[in-house]
Amino acid sequence: MKLLTHNMLTSHVKGVTKGYPLLIKATEVKMNEVEFNPQFVSRMIPKLEWSALVQAADELGQRQDLPGELVPDYEKNEDFLKKVHRLLLEVEVIEGCLQCPESGREFPISRGIPNMLLSEDEA
Amino acid sequence: ISSSSTDNDATTGDIISVTIGATVPTGFEHTAAEEVKEKIGVDARISKDRGRIYFPITTDKLFQVHLLRSVDNLFVVVEEYDNYQFKESKEETLMELQELASKLPWTNALEVWKLNRTFKKKKGYRKGGNGTKGKPKSEAAGATVADTEQQELPQATSTVENQTEESVPEAESDTQDSVEAAPRAILIKFRVTCNRAGDKHSFSSNEAARDFGGAVQEFFQWKADMTKFDIEVLLNIHNVEVVIGIALTEESLHRRNISHFGPTTLRSTLCYGMLRLCKPQPSDIILDPMCGTGAIPLEGAIEFNSSFYIAGDNYDMAVNRTVNNICHIQKRRADKGSISGLPIDTVRWDLCSLPMRTSSVDIIITDMPFGKRMGSRKKNWDLYPSCLREMARVCRPGSGKAVLLTQDKKCFSKAISRMGGLWRKLHTVWVNVGGLHAGVYLLKRTEAVFGQTPEDVYESREVVNSNILSIHVLPVTE
Repeated sequence: MKLLTHNMLTSHVKGVTKGYPLLIKATEVKMNEVEFNPQFVSRMIPKLEWSALVQAADELGQRQDLPGELVPDYEKNEDFLKKVHRLLLEVEVIEGCLQCPESGREFPISRGIPNMLLSEDEA
Repeated sequence: ISSSSTDNDATTGDIISVTIGATVPTGFEHTAAEEVKEKIGVDARISKDRGRIYFPITTDKLFQVHLLRSVDNLFVVVEEYDNYQFKESKEETLMELQELASKLPWTNALEVWKLNRTFKKKKGYRKGGNGTKGKPKSEAAGATVADTEQQELPQATSTVENQTEESVPEAESDTQDSVEAAPRAILIKFRVTCNRAGDKHSFSSNEAARDFGGAVQEFFQWKADMTKFDIEVLLNIHNVEVVIGIALTEESLHRRNISHFGPTTLRSTLCYGMLRLCKPQPSDIILDPMCGTGAIPLEGAIEFNSSFYIAGDNYDMAVNRTVNNICHIQKRRADKGSISGLPIDTVRWDLCSLPMRTSSVDIIITDMPFGKRMGSRKKNWDLYPSCLREMARVCRPGSGKAVLLTQDKKCFSKAISRMGGLWRKLHTVWVNVGGLHAGVYLLKRTEAVFGQTPEDVYESREVVNSNILSIHVLPVTE
């Protein structure tokens, strides 16, 4: 699971209103090189929940010097864009789980695939 | 229309101009023509015989045809007749076909065939053969359905010296890239494939292939072989349109990206066609909520790689196969020394309850379950509406799009007609998937915020009906 995907995922357990962002508990993380496309990154940033990305990076110990808030003119800052590219696309959680922040329900991640299926009474 | 240029010099090295024919998934002729324009820079002509396009090319650019992703099979045209006047009787017609063999301008087409084989011998050649499982079948106006026949011809004498005026290509065993013009004892194996459609023909494709093939064999002194042939001659007859060609692709895997198949894996050319239809933009988040083995998002991650793909399914076998297919491609790229990572992720989920933020997705593209191959018609009746609603929720209002393939057109149309507040039909492409007629629906997500359209006010028909007798109006909730 890449952090870009994580940024879009939310808990959908019945009754939960604050199911985002899911907490990440990783037991295995891998790096996977992806070609850098600055236009992709700069256009993606407005679609993200920035604070959720920062939180996820923190949980994985991958934050480095990523700012807590977006810097102005980030579109032209290639260094910054490369850092964001790495976090969004190159860090992969292979084993672990995602946890609903409200209900505590854990969704396992195996082989990089989060299993978000709910049981009948949870849906 | 004559296919080749005036250059009659048979030695390699001279640039010649020919017409290439390509078979594409029926319904996607225009998207294929678009791709040809974009990657080769020429205008393609769409044949009246569905599923075929034609375009000119010079031999110095020939390798480009193997970069086309919307094309199943390629062939070089020997000769084309717009309005072939068939003789009255079968005997005369077949006799004429036989006489045709020695009169056709084979030279340039054979040069192209020769050149094309050198691409396959070069290292790192991509499997260009995106052939369909069977030859394309065309439906005639009237009762007759096209025959697809390959004809076994009587054995010719084994090795014979080249006696004709045409240059003959080297046989399979030749390992050199360049071809020698000096005649030597060689054995070319060939077969003729005839596709015939039309209700006014006095002959069958069987007979045409047999007689035409016999004459070809006689003319070139090649040997007929159904299975281990070097040259495949194509004889395509569609009413009065006759095209003779030489195949440039083999009938190899038409699912180029997929190494781990599932029961309903779509061929890559169809996936590509669907993707082109929705025009992915840089940074688009593209979702396939019923991904199966991941054919569509994987094709997207490779060909439209400035978008991001999330593939999801509820079956564990499906998500596992998807991940296997992704890994397979990444490994292949790594082996070639390229940056291997693809912009794609896989999630296991229930598509009627997607664990995705509202309005977070730009494009939804998927192959919806067909009643016949997977699931059932009755299940679709319940599934389609919930599916479409959930997809509308996650899709970005105003700018969002969906490209949905389904064979259950009735169910789909009914479901979509009740969702006018959320989805608008832009365009429909009628296609053929594994022999079944299906529709690819291009939808636009309306500006309406989810939860506030008239459809959302009434939660279900049952609720509405039970309230008909009471006086108060249903409250407008989220």
